[in-house]
Amino acid sequence: MFSCKNEEHEYHSVIEKIESESKNYHGVSVTSELYFEDTDMIEISEDGQSFLIPDRKGQIKSFACTECHSKPLEQMQSENLKKAHWDVSVAHADLNTMNCVTCHNPENMDNLKSLTGNTIDFNASYKLCSQCHTKQFQDWKGGAHGKQIGGWAPPRASMTCVNCHNPHKPAFETKWPARFNTQTIKERNN
Amino acid sequence: MSNNNKKWFSLNLNSRKKQTSNTCGCGKTTGGCNSHNSKPQMSDEDFFEAAVNASIGEERKKDGFDQVFEVKMDRRTAFKQLTASLLIGAGAVSTSCSLVSGEETKEKAQIDWEEQFKGNYKLMSDNEKKGTVDRLVRSYQIRTGKTINMSAKNAEEDVLFGYAFNISKCQGYMDCVSACVEENNQDRSSQMQYIRIHEMKDGKGFNFNEADDNYYHEVPAEGHFYMGTQCFHCDNPPCVDVCPVQATWREDDGLVVVDYDWCVGCRYCMAACPYDGRRFNWSKPEVPEAEINHNQHYLGNRMRKKGVMEKCTFCVQRSRAGKNPACVEACPTGARVFGNLLDPNSTIRWVLENKKVFRLKEDLGTEPKFWYYMD
Repeated sequence: MFSCKNEEHEYHSVIEKIESESKNYHGVSVTSELYFEDTDMIEISEDGQSFLIPDRKGQIKSFACTECHSKPLEQMQSENLKKAHWDVSVAHADLNTMNCVTCHNPENMDNLKSLTGNTIDFNASYKLCSQCHTKQFQDWKGGAHGKQIGGWAPPRASMTCVNCHNPHKPAFETKWPARFNTQTIKERNN
Repeated sequence: MSNNNKKWFSLNLNSRKKQTSNTCGCGKTTGGCNSHNSKPQMSDEDFFEAAVNASIGEERKKDGFDQVFEVKMDRRTAFKQLTASLLIGAGAVSTSCSLVSGEETKEKAQIDWEEQFKGNYKLMSDNEKKGTVDRLVRSYQIRTGKTINMSAKNAEEDVLFGYAFNISKCQGYMDCVSACVEENNQDRSSQMQYIRIHEMKDGKGFNFNEADDNYYHEVPAEGHFYMGTQCFHCDNPPCVDVCPVQATWREDDGLVVVDYDWCVGCRYCMAACPYDGRRFNWSKPEVPEAEINHNQHYLGNRMRKKGVMEKCTFCVQRSRAGKNPACVEACPTGARVFGNLLDPNSTIRWVLENKKVFRLKEDLGTEPKFWYYMD
């Protein structure tokens, strides 16, 4: 007699098996904590999903901004001061949509600014990105977008937007592949 | 030997034929090298009797059926006795012809012997698994002077590994391929790769006939998209069904693994896999000593030999320790999602429940645990 059922288990498909076997999920003994202990992490909670993201402020070399930005911007531009941020060129949307002050607040340099003028902490920069990139934000919260840090085992840790995307130039660049298989070429030519 | 017209070689175990000439390594038949005593301490026949007694004892008095089904000692003990008797023999030789056999050589011989006759990993108890892993580590140490770390960690309860691949995100950088080769000690000379990244033309769908998996130009190329294939760790794996010696099987956490020491290299599994997930060692796999990953698992990236199958194990040495496979960790675009399908809060479960996922050749009923999805 032909049966589509698996020999050992009464499941028609792996999805059925997953649904059934995860009903009594008790957790696992392994943890991924060891694998990101060198990185400072902060815990965030969005829509009941809570997970870790890397601390951002400690990673920005010239933070806090007010250490240099002690005067209004106009004065700093006019004076003969050392040039700064020469490496920043904005390639993010067009000028009708975005410029520096869409995200930065000249009055409050140490924080980011939402579209409505509210303050956003640099560590929560994903809140700034998610104002426009709502779809990506949904996927990121769930885990379909954004790279996981450490391992699959709990606790969940994820890269935040700015860990992969340069906020001033968020697109990925073209590059050469990491590998080229010369053996395959030989075999193909034979 | 001139009066021996046999065209085949046979072990001279049961013939009680007494040696007519008393020869030794020095080539002479009389005097000179002090090993030709006129009265040997033990005649050849007596020595043979003693060796057989020491090795299989009363077992030889039984008929074939009894030997198999009424074994008084387990195989391990039997081998130990047999090995001991062989060492007695070796000792006898060394006294007469001064062959120096160090402790290490003996240990190596013992290890090789036990490794040669060990059972299928699938059927081993945890102690036996530990035994073979310890032997392999020690053997590597004796042979190379280097220490490796090999695990025999079993599948954990409440874990079923699954994988999701975002074809919108993959840019074809092949960092995953590189990381995989380095992590899993794959043969450098034949440039074996478990992962293939296929460059496909936009608008043509998954057309493997026109896809290229060995491109070399800046990526992503205009008008193309990229998708990766590797072992999908099917829940109903056809490769496992066809193996004549059960050298490959599905573990409880869903990993489809190979016992490289049980595999006979028939490559049936390679033919049975609909996804080109399996690789064969046509030549002796070689990895430069400096590049060897010393963090190994018996079922994973330990060193392979010529003539056996291997494949992606979702980096069993990493995944069973809670880590992500090397390809997931290396991917710069986050196109690869790995996790526990039985954990309702895992990211892999979120992808399966919230994205439009599909698998390759789903109609075959192989139930791959490797899903594709798009943004």
